[in-house]
Amino acid sequence: MLEMNGISKIYRTDLIETHALRNFSLKVGDGEFVAVTGPSGSGKTTFMNVAGLLESFDTGSYKLDGADVSRLSDEQRSRLRNEKIGFIFQSFNLIPDLDIYDNVDVPLRYRRLAAKDRDQRIKSALEVVGLSSRMHHMPSQLSGGQQQRAAIARALAGDPRFLLADEPTGNVDSLMARQVMDLLEQINEMGTTIIMVTHDPELARRAHRNVHIVDGQISDFRPYEPRAEIEAAAVAHGPAPMTMTPA
Amino acid sequence: MTAWNLRPIASALWRNRTGALLVAFQIAIGLAVLVNAVYIVKQRVEKISRPTGMDTANMIFVASAGFARDFDYDASWREDIATLRAIPGVQAASVISNIPLSGGGSSSGFQARPGETNPEKTVPGNTYLIDEQGVDALGITLSAGRAFEPQEILPPTPTFDAASQAIVTKAFAKSLFPDDPNPLGKTFFDGLSRPITIVGVIEHMHGAWVSWDKLDHVVLFPRIKTGPSAIYVVRAEPGRQDAVMREIEAKLGDSNPGRLMRWVRPMSYFIEQSYLDDRNMAIFLVSVTGVLLAVTALGIFGLATFNVSTRIRQIGTRRAVGARRMDIVRHFLVENWMVTTAGVVVGCAGALAVGYWLSVKYQLPRLDLYYLVGGVLAIWLIGLLAAWQPARRASAISPAVATRTV
Amino acid sequence: MFGYYLKLASRNLRRNPGLTALMIGAVALGIAVCVMTLTMYRALSGNPIWWKNDVLYAVTMDFWDPTEEYFDSKPGVPPWQLTYRDALAVFASDIPKRKVIMHKAVGTLSLEDRQARPERVTTRVTTTDFFGAFDVPFQYGGTWAPSADTGPEPVMVISRAMNEKYFGGRNSVGERIRWNDNEFRIVGVRDHWMPLPSFYDVNNGSLEEPEDVYIPFGWNAALEIYSAGNTQGWKAEEINSYRDFLNSENIWIQMWVELPDENARRRFQDFLDNYAQEQKQAGRYGRPLNNRLTPVDQWLVDNDVVGNDDRVLVGLAFAFLAVCLLNTVGLLLAKFLNGAAMTGVRRALGASRRQVFMQHLVEVGVVSSIGAALGLALGGLMLMGLRALYTVDPTDQGGTQALAQVDMTSVATALALAFVATIAAGLYPAWRIGRIPPATYLKAQ
Ligand SMILES: Nc1ncnc2c1ncn2[C@@H]1O[C@H](COP(=O)(O)OP(=O)(O)OP(=O)(O)O)[C@@H](O)[C@H]1O
Ligand SMILES: [Mg+2]
Repeated sequence: MLEMNGISKIYRTDLIETHALRNFSLKVGDGEFVAVTGPSGSGKTTFMNVAGLLESFDTGSYKLDGADVSRLSDEQRSRLRNEKIGFIFQSFNLIPDLDIYDNVDVPLRYRRLAAKDRDQRIKSALEVVGLSSRMHHMPSQLSGGQQQRAAIARALAGDPRFLLADEPTGNVDSLMARQVMDLLEQINEMGTTIIMVTHDPELARRAHRNVHIVDGQISDFRPYEPRAEIEAAAVAHGPAPMTMTPA
Repeated sequence: MTAWNLRPIASALWRNRTGALLVAFQIAIGLAVLVNAVYIVKQRVEKISRPTGMDTANMIFVASAGFARDFDYDASWREDIATLRAIPGVQAASVISNIPLSGGGSSSGFQARPGETNPEKTVPGNTYLIDEQGVDALGITLSAGRAFEPQEILPPTPTFDAASQAIVTKAFAKSLFPDDPNPLGKTFFDGLSRPITIVGVIEHMHGAWVSWDKLDHVVLFPRIKTGPSAIYVVRAEPGRQDAVMREIEAKLGDSNPGRLMRWVRPMSYFIEQSYLDDRNMAIFLVSVTGVLLAVTALGIFGLATFNVSTRIRQIGTRRAVGARRMDIVRHFLVENWMVTTAGVVVGCAGALAVGYWLSVKYQLPRLDLYYLVGGVLAIWLIGLLAAWQPARRASAISPAVATRTV
Repeated sequence: MFGYYLKLASRNLRRNPGLTALMIGAVALGIAVCVMTLTMYRALSGNPIWWKNDVLYAVTMDFWDPTEEYFDSKPGVPPWQLTYRDALAVFASDIPKRKVIMHKAVGTLSLEDRQARPERVTTRVTTTDFFGAFDVPFQYGGTWAPSADTGPEPVMVISRAMNEKYFGGRNSVGERIRWNDNEFRIVGVRDHWMPLPSFYDVNNGSLEEPEDVYIPFGWNAALEIYSAGNTQGWKAEEINSYRDFLNSENIWIQMWVELPDENARRRFQDFLDNYAQEQKQAGRYGRPLNNRLTPVDQWLVDNDVVGNDDRVLVGLAFAFLAVCLLNTVGLLLAKFLNGAAMTGVRRALGASRRQVFMQHLVEVGVVSSIGAALGLALGGLMLMGLRALYTVDPTDQGGTQALAQVDMTSVATALALAFVATIAAGLYPAWRIGRIPPATYLKAQ
């Protein structure tokens, strides 16, 4: 499904170069549910962006569904994103001017589906996340959890083979976080590959596999050790997080 | 239709309608002004560029004013004319009673039958007194008949008398004898029923007042202008106007202490003077309308740029879920087009209303609908151009801002 | 608090310099075009002698063609000039406090010793009351005696400019000067005077400069002077001499009277009607009785002193200002709404609705002040451009010179108008932003 080999990504600013990913290699199989963890600034979002074709990378190779994506044009990348990849953002990113129905409609529009088809997909996606009754609410009229579910519906509506979620539970309470997780598991069971970034060890444990990123590299494959991770998360906002990561 | 996303764009627009409405109103005003301004300018330009029938590029007028009590007008004009005709580069020179196209002149009413009392049947004409070289000096073309002979030229009178022979324009003859294609040799009458015979027909010539609808009704009589002020019309050979003017100044300037040489001026001076208001109106309308459209375009541009900058995250999200660059460009162009079109609809009504008002209140001709169509297309184009750069900028936004922007 | 608002405004405005420049530029352009157009319009349309509007009247009588109206487009309005003999007959009345009959001519001015070059001068052939009726200022001397009008005596008033030219600007009263080679004695020097529009004689357009010299009306017959304005006739008449011309139905004389009160006005109107009635009975003309005493305001309207083009331009200027203001409001609104989240935070931190409103209004005020200042400067430049546009011959500028002398009243009017309009336009965005409940924007993502 996804195969990254020796990927590196460097951000250049006037002052410094940041090696957000260095020699990063990862394979994710069809139907897997992978949780990505790591201290703040370690490169998780960068990895997700590269995986989701939102950003390019500097070296290495990346195959998605067996196809090399490093040489694709912007147009082709957009198409892949639209058809194969679904995104769930930490801060929902619903479009404030559009109601929920139209928000879910956005990716379908870009896929040029017929009106009837779109309508059906939107309604069933909203059904799945339990928002059928709020179809014509504006985002600002929903709670945080509802907004996140609407965003999930938007990601699902296009039937992606591959769902990328960057801290989907970061902005909702723990009860809601568990519900979101239930939803993702349910989607995964229907065959969608999911990669999820999270800081919540409990949620991370529910995935098939954990990938721990430290300083732009995969540090180790190992199940979560809750205590250590909680400490790491606690100091993640400290002045020198790198020294505190359990290696 | 699906690809154009019209409904969601429209509903999003409606939700933030105030800004859009303000721009739409600007566009409406812009269209109403544009259409009418262009229409008025077109009429002015047509008016200014009408053919005059004369060789205006090479004509020079000279004004002499005798003021001394012992001033001998008769000797003076004879001497002046002889001097003028002897200047190298002069094709012809004549005494003339007024300057065509100068806004000053003389007009009288004429009739096809003697003693006509019906004012409707009185045909007005711009009248000029010239001598035997007058036709040549004015550079007019005779389509029939001949110029005046030297022996036909009558002496000046103190009483503004005309003459019994005349050269008239085709347009004047047509008004006088509507059914007769060949007026040469026919007789018409002045207000006192004195007969006048047509000896020549001018193809086309302009008279004194540029805003008069009888501008092309001209009647030339063979007589010397009444003194003691004289006006001479001189036609120079092509390209020698300046040299001839300098020579005239030198030769006539101080030739007679009993008179004042008032000026030597090219014909263009008087034409420019006469059309000054029309020309200025056109310049005004063009520049103010141009700036007005530029301001409108900048308004569209500013608002679109601002919209893009406040919607960066939303654009990133659209890109993240699969919108291509073209989709983003199109989104903004369509949105902008909707605003423009709303303005255009109101503007059409406005343009027609303004056009109607102008035609009623100021007797301007009624607005031609072609101009409205042209104006609508122009406004659409301006709207598209103004929104193009911001739309392009929007499409360059990286999809990654969806995950990065807070 | 005001200082704090100013600080916030300047910071906000500097955050989007392009947008700010656009707003200020729009306001400035709108104001500039309005200042220019209104200055021009006022110069062309104002009543330059408004203080005498209820005492000064143009005298007109309808002695025109019995078969035709004089004005096609304004039926019922009599011709605006009189025949020579009617003017003289009405001038005989002693009801008016001041009475003026006159026309414009051209003549040649020279000195006995031919020292200065002879000069072609515009000449008003008029009566002694001209200067008093139109409040014409004198630099030296004054008008001639009433007896000089008909005498006629060889007396002359010259303009300040002519006095500079011929006498170096010194008091020339008593000096001799020749007009068309006839000797005249200078009795007065007219000071600067430039009524715009030139209302008292509308023959030659409304930007005409006042005449160079003035001589008594009686010289018409003596020197056989013709008008330099329009001479119009409707009747086919045999004219074989200047005498015939003076007795003809040609109209070429303008007449004005000063009637101090309503009583005088009524009496003079009766006098006019009686005279016309007599003429009618003598079989001279066949039009219905239509004698008018027209105050200056109405006179300017009747004679189309303000051209249609000028009105169209004023309309255009206002359309322009409207576009500029809409532009500014739109941009301000977008800008304010964009900052709504920050405003929400301020509200949450205790700013009242009124304070938020004031803060934004100060921002509007800054934009309109800078815009107005720039607009005024730009308007001045445009007026200079305007002057160039109306000048064909740089030595002969006529009244256009006065156009460029920015008239302070009209500038103040235009400026106040534009400033108030901008502030009023800014009220809406400021009000809108103040009205947003703080929670809305704090909650939004
Ligand atoms: N556009 C950018 N320009 C420069 N540096 C960047 C940019 N985006 C990210 N970085 C840097 O790249 C590194 C990785 O960032 P990334 O966002 O991937 O971290 P993360 O693991 O998602 O952290 P968090 O858990 O806090 O979200 C950081 O050091 C960050 O400062
Ligand atoms: Mg991150």
